[in-house]
Amino acid sequence: MDLTWYLVVSALIFCIGAGGVLVRRNPLVILLCIELMLNAANLALVGFSRAHGNMDGQIFALIVMVVAACEVAIGLGLIVALFRRRLPIDVDELRELQG
Amino acid sequence: MTIHLSILVFWPLLLAVLGGLVPRGVAPLFAVVGSLVPLGYAVIMLIDFDTAARGLQYVTDDAWIDELGIRYTLGVDGLNLWLVALTALLFAASAMWVALRPPVRAKLFAIHFGIAETAVLGAFLAQDLALFVLFFDLMLVPFYFLLGQWGGPERIAAAVKMVVYTLVGSLLMLAAAVATAVLSSPAGELTFSLAELQQNLLGENTQKLLFAAFALAFLIKMPSFPFHGWMPDAYRNMPLPVLAVFSGVVSKVAAYGFLRIALPLFPEAAADWQLILLIIALLSIVYGSVQAYTQTNLRLILGYSSIAQLGFITLGIFALDPEGRGAQGALLQAVNHGLVVAPLFLIVVLLATRTAGSVDIRDMGGIATRAPVLATLFMIVTLATLAMPGSANFVGEFFILLGVFQSKLAVAIIASTGVVLASVYALRMYIRAMHNRPGPTVTSFDLGMRDAIVLVPLVLVILAFAVYPQLALEAGEPAVQAATDAVTR
Amino acid sequence: MSLETYGWLVLAFPLAGTILIALTWRLLPARAHGVIGTLAIALSFAASVLAFFELESRGEEERQVVAHGWDYAVANGVDATVSILIDPLSMLMMLVVSGVSMLIHLYSVAYMGGDRGYTRFFAYLNFFVFSMLLLVLAANFFLLIVGWAFVGAASYLLISFWYRRRTATQAGIKAFVINVVGDVGLVLGTYFIFTGTGTLDFLATFEEVGSAFSRNDGDLVAGCLLLLVGAFAKSAQVPLHTWLPDAMEGPTPVSALIHAATMVTAGVYLIARMHPLFELAPAAADVGAILGCATMIIAATIGLVVTDLKRVIAYSTMSQIGYMVMAVSSAAYAAGMFHLMTHAFFKALLFMAAGSVIAAMAGTQDLDRMGGFRKVMPFTYASMVIGGLVLSGVPPFAGFFSKDEIIALMFAHEDWHVVLGVLGYVGSLMTAIYTFRMIFRAFWGDPVPEARELEHGHLYHPEHPTNPATGEIEDTDVGFPGPEHHIAEREGPMKIAMGALAVLAIVGGVVQIPKVNESLHHFLEPTFADSRLYEELEASTTLTWIGLIVGATIALLGIAIAYGLWVRQPDRPRMLQQRFAFLHRVFVNKWYFDEAIELLVVRPMAWLGRFASSTFERAVVDGALVGTTSGLVRLGSAAVRRMQTGYLRYYAALLLMGITSLGAYFLISA
Repeated sequence: MDLTWYLVVSALIFCIGAGGVLVRRNPLVILLCIELMLNAANLALVGFSRAHGNMDGQIFALIVMVVAACEVAIGLGLIVALFRRRLPIDVDELRELQG
Repeated sequence: MTIHLSILVFWPLLLAVLGGLVPRGVAPLFAVVGSLVPLGYAVIMLIDFDTAARGLQYVTDDAWIDELGIRYTLGVDGLNLWLVALTALLFAASAMWVALRPPVRAKLFAIHFGIAETAVLGAFLAQDLALFVLFFDLMLVPFYFLLGQWGGPERIAAAVKMVVYTLVGSLLMLAAAVATAVLSSPAGELTFSLAELQQNLLGENTQKLLFAAFALAFLIKMPSFPFHGWMPDAYRNMPLPVLAVFSGVVSKVAAYGFLRIALPLFPEAAADWQLILLIIALLSIVYGSVQAYTQTNLRLILGYSSIAQLGFITLGIFALDPEGRGAQGALLQAVNHGLVVAPLFLIVVLLATRTAGSVDIRDMGGIATRAPVLATLFMIVTLATLAMPGSANFVGEFFILLGVFQSKLAVAIIASTGVVLASVYALRMYIRAMHNRPGPTVTSFDLGMRDAIVLVPLVLVILAFAVYPQLALEAGEPAVQAATDAVTR
Repeated sequence: MSLETYGWLVLAFPLAGTILIALTWRLLPARAHGVIGTLAIALSFAASVLAFFELESRGEEERQVVAHGWDYAVANGVDATVSILIDPLSMLMMLVVSGVSMLIHLYSVAYMGGDRGYTRFFAYLNFFVFSMLLLVLAANFFLLIVGWAFVGAASYLLISFWYRRRTATQAGIKAFVINVVGDVGLVLGTYFIFTGTGTLDFLATFEEVGSAFSRNDGDLVAGCLLLLVGAFAKSAQVPLHTWLPDAMEGPTPVSALIHAATMVTAGVYLIARMHPLFELAPAAADVGAILGCATMIIAATIGLVVTDLKRVIAYSTMSQIGYMVMAVSSAAYAAGMFHLMTHAFFKALLFMAAGSVIAAMAGTQDLDRMGGFRKVMPFTYASMVIGGLVLSGVPPFAGFFSKDEIIALMFAHEDWHVVLGVLGYVGSLMTAIYTFRMIFRAFWGDPVPEARELEHGHLYHPEHPTNPATGEIEDTDVGFPGPEHHIAEREGPMKIAMGALAVLAIVGGVVQIPKVNESLHHFLEPTFADSRLYEELEASTTLTWIGLIVGATIALLGIAIAYGLWVRQPDRPRMLQQRFAFLHRVFVNKWYFDEAIELLVVRPMAWLGRFASSTFERAVVDGALVGTTSGLVRLGSAAVRRMQTGYLRYYAALLLMGITSLGAYFLISA
């Protein structure tokens, strides 16, 4: 199959993820969207790997999964901590950077 | 090519970092060793230094950032020899003082202190423009933290003000340094080496602009009237042992910068700007003296008196007389002022402990009664501050005024009023603190062993210098001559 | 030992004394420090005497010896060394300074006994003697300035000796600051001369000065006038004199030593030392002579009305130094130095006697409250009378010869200096009047309670000693001039010192009796060998004799007037006071010099300081400079502030846009 199709799907998933990160306010959903973006990248990596006949890309994909797992663990931990301290679960409340 | 200067510069930093890793009990020891070794080095260098030779000695010269032509060059000559010794002495004294009265978070304090010493020594020894700028700006960092964390009640505002002020100057200087290097090597290799930059000078108009940038940076750092806005707050809040080295050496880096960089690199501009800088110096002298006479806070009295004294130093540098007497005096005075102002700030600590913590002379008085040793030491330092003939400070002032006298007579005569004013504010300070009737909260007692161990050697150095200032003059003469020759020739 | 060694020893002993006393302040009992101090000065005096004989044994040509110590600040063409010059002029000063100092130290051993600052006193006093000797021995301008400032510092320390009295600290700072004005004058004057001659060394300067400057050269005159500023500040000449009367806050031995016998005469020494310069700049010398004369008259008029015992003597000192300045500025060098020497003797004696009286009065110095001490203090009275007679110039005492020689030489000039001579006689009359006014008022008349108490054999002790100037109760922690001090009648050392000085004051004149014995003139010759006027200026025999007779008559007349006014008709002074109310007011207010200085110098400076800290600092430094900078920063930040919403996704979107546009840019450009 042509590489293009993999990349189109990957780009679509990435855009969905990016859009979700920008639009949604619930940190849990944002985390899921980040996962989507990572997996879009994984798809692209695997696709390239297959097209070039080189296994490096698949190894990268595996590493990304490991990182994603770590990230989810930390992200969920943070959310649980927020929940436990009865803080609002809404990223728009975290606006200390406002000038 | 020797490694000695690198050891001298980075030893305090090394020991400070190591001190951060050891248990709290021995940490002060590391800080003291960190400052005593450079002092020993400096003393050996003073003895070993060849006063007859021209040019740099103990040079270290290595490639550092080749792409930009920045080299790691350190060297000693008559201009910085005594200033390095002064830095080492004052940091050693102050480190000892701090070690005997540990502040909170002593380890962190020592680390900042070590960085500060490395930065100041580096700035004095750097012979590469980029390296100088680096060390010059590095000085700001530790003092920012020392002021911001261990300072008085308004420390944050004071620290921010100080940083903003000096950063303006520093950034201008950085830009000017880059411009100097780029413009003086249009086609060939980029170089920041002072010796090479001196070989191919810039056009007069370019010089004027770049000189102004450097001068502004130095005048702010000194500080000089009217760029002293950060001084009152910083002096009011900085911890006194830190203030002793800050006032004692940091301002001297600026004065030294004029002699090392501004005059040799921009000689024509220096001649063009001479009158303006002389006027700034005069205003600093008069303004600083009058303010020192009016203030009642000892820290501010000393701060404003420093403005006046640095006015004298600037005056000497820009006397630009053919024999280089003004600059020679300025160099000597830079060392002298450091030598007297540091013990004065330490004495302020002692006075404050006798007046329930106040540093206001209105709360003092009559302290001399049961403190004859303290009174004597204070008296000697006060007389040296007001440049009484017989002190090395007078030799410095004599040369400065003589230099100015021979190039700009009227300026010298106006400046000499500063000498009279100095006697007024210095004696007023002494009398209001030590004499008259005691204030309500005053308890008079003499200084203890841990005060004497720091103060007495400092005063002995002042006395020794008063008896034989020739030592410093001899070393300085060829280098000063070279620096001013560039302009007057 | 060589002359040079003696010269260094003269300097070394007092310095060693100071250091020894300072280092052993807690180890030895206080009394021992008095002994150490006195011994140090005695050794110094002995060295001076030996040096004198050594100098005398040399040929006329070899009587100017420079001993080089070490290079002090030799760089960039400046030749400031530590070296001493021993010649007849410095020799004379050396003998007078160390000799009188020795006697005053001896006096102080007893007089200051019981003072809480006994040790400190002797450390300071030794330091003063060292400084003064350094001043007179200096072989170049630089070292002279050092000695000059050192004596100023010593004087300050001793004026403020009882440093918890506000009057003492104020007097001290005043003296110090005016002396610094003098130092600055001296330094600037040195610059003018150095610029011409290129050397700081005295002898080299004197050789060069002829070729470097023309007669009355503008630079030279300016230099000499500035040297005069230095001399006038130190010697309390108008208009830099206001510190001297206030300096009487110091202990009386200090007034005797520093503010009468030695330090204040430094200006006279300076002018004499600089004679080659002044002879080449007669314009400056004339200014010196006229101002000296003015001081002589002004101080004498104030002396007539002042009621403070020590201040009468202080104004008399100013007046007498006026004579000396007038003399050395008019090329009458030997006469000026002669008067300097005799004045050191009799003025120290007068102060010592005054100290004794003040001790009996428990610190009070007001003449209005004194009287009748003649019987109970016979020794003091005798000393005072001898000092008074010598000061008034009654023959055949020392002051008679020295003062009248000055006046005779003024007439010998045969130009406008004659006016100075006439005024000299006017001053002489006033001198006799105020001196005996003081003596009659303190010792004659009905005994005051203090005197009566002394008749019963004990000194008067007030219950709560107060400072007469301010009325505040004295601080007993540090000490004050008061009942712990001693009177001459009861203290051997005081008697010895006063007796020795009295003898010197009586017979001191023999070294220079006009037309009979001019040994001082000959002794000083080597120093003034290069002077054009030294030998030329000589009063004729007739003039001298007329002068002596007129002088003696005037002195006796003055004493008679004083007797008439204050003994025979005690009401007359008050009548005169009302008759000449305006003059009296001017005199009592010291010709308003203090007020003028306050108005012209002190107030503007204080105002400037207040303006600087309140208005300028806030409006310009913090307002305009800081305000403008921070205002610009604030405006700039306000513009970009809106972009900082604080929403995380906003930043993420920006990031994304940035990356996308970067990617797009590279794609298109590729």
